Amino acid sequence: MDSRPGYQRGSSNHLAYGGSASNSPALTGAQAARRRKQPPRPADFKLQVIIIGSRGVGKTSLMERFTDDTFCEACKSTVGVDFKIKTVELRGKKIRLQIWDTAGQERFNSITSAYYRSAKGIILVYDITKKETFEDLPKWMKMIDKYASEEAELLLVGNKLDCETDREITRQQGEKFAQQITGMRFCEASAKDNFNVDEIFLKLVDDILKKMPLDLVRSELSNSILSLQPEPEVPPELPPPRPPLRCC
Amino acid sequence: MEQDLVSVDGKNSRAVLCQRCGCRVLSAGVATLAKRELLLPSMRKKSSLSESSSPDCELLAEHWLVHDMFTFENVGFTKDVGSIKYLVCADCEVGPIGWHSLEEKSNFYVALERVRHE
Repeated sequence: MDSRPGYQRGSSNHLAYGGSASNSPALTGAQAARRRKQPPRPADFKLQVIIIGSRGVGKTSLMERFTDDTFCEACKSTVGVDFKIKTVELRGKKIRLQIWDTAGQERFNSITSAYYRSAKGIILVYDITKKETFEDLPKWMKMIDKYASEEAELLLVGNKLDCETDREITRQQGEKFAQQITGMRFCEASAKDNFNVDEIFLKLVDDILKKMPLDLVRSELSNSILSLQPEPEVPPELPPPRPPLRCC
Repeated sequence: MEQDLVSVDGKNSRAVLCQRCGCRVLSAGVATLAKRELLLPSMRKKSSLSESSSPDCELLAEHWLVHDMFTFENVGFTKDVGSIKYLVCADCEVGPIGWHSLEEKSNFYVALERVRHE
């Protein structure tokens, strides 16, 4: 967390992307060797995951475990949670997730690109009872194409499965949307009764780990973490948009 | 009580858990005991953080200190309150249980009084 993964202005006038450079599959041997020299960290892996989607789809609820409302409402802080560190164990590895929920920043262009750039996993959420949140998905995909690493794992979540009677979007519609995007997974969930919520994170983490060459993982992931520095107002030059079909 | 919680090397001898839901905040042996007076909004009143005019705060003096946010097993960071981010339970969001100043990048404090020990 010492250095922001965003961009660093070099001596020349171009901007170097710390985050996306480390995502590049064409990592040279020298770069890899340099990374391996970093000191070991207590967790095996560190991953950044972001949760995006239109207003009211339940992004924040996905980030928290369903708990007794009365107590929580009375005691939890009113300023709102910015992000969480959560630890999961998978395949005998200890993985620290840094989970960012983008609630409150729903206007499509207002979320800083830094969130996307350093995310290894992106959870895109819509509400199965609100057609418009499903219709917004292509716009969110545009944001992903524009800002996210091509290698970020994508998971589409149809939330509010507990409101089945008000359903407007069928499971098949969700599946069909996800199928159009290479590598995108799909599931339905209910943050309210915690159905599928833990599974969502585990599934995403598993997909990320499967993709990673093991000797790179440790250091690369620690580089990808967003620090608490505010993002500069001026947006950096954009990386080229990725092709509509993602390559696996 | 303190002796019981601190091992010979000055670290927390027991894991640090959320008082309410038992969610694991820190594993044993990763944090040092720090004495520093820090002002944390009360855990009891919902309005304490939003009413900046008369915040209901407590001065707490004993904390577990870690220097990397990834030392935490589970924790939530609130949005900025001035230059402070408060720490809350990652699962039930009870809190604040700790304190982090954006001006001290590598100090993360968890108040002993606001957590329980395994």
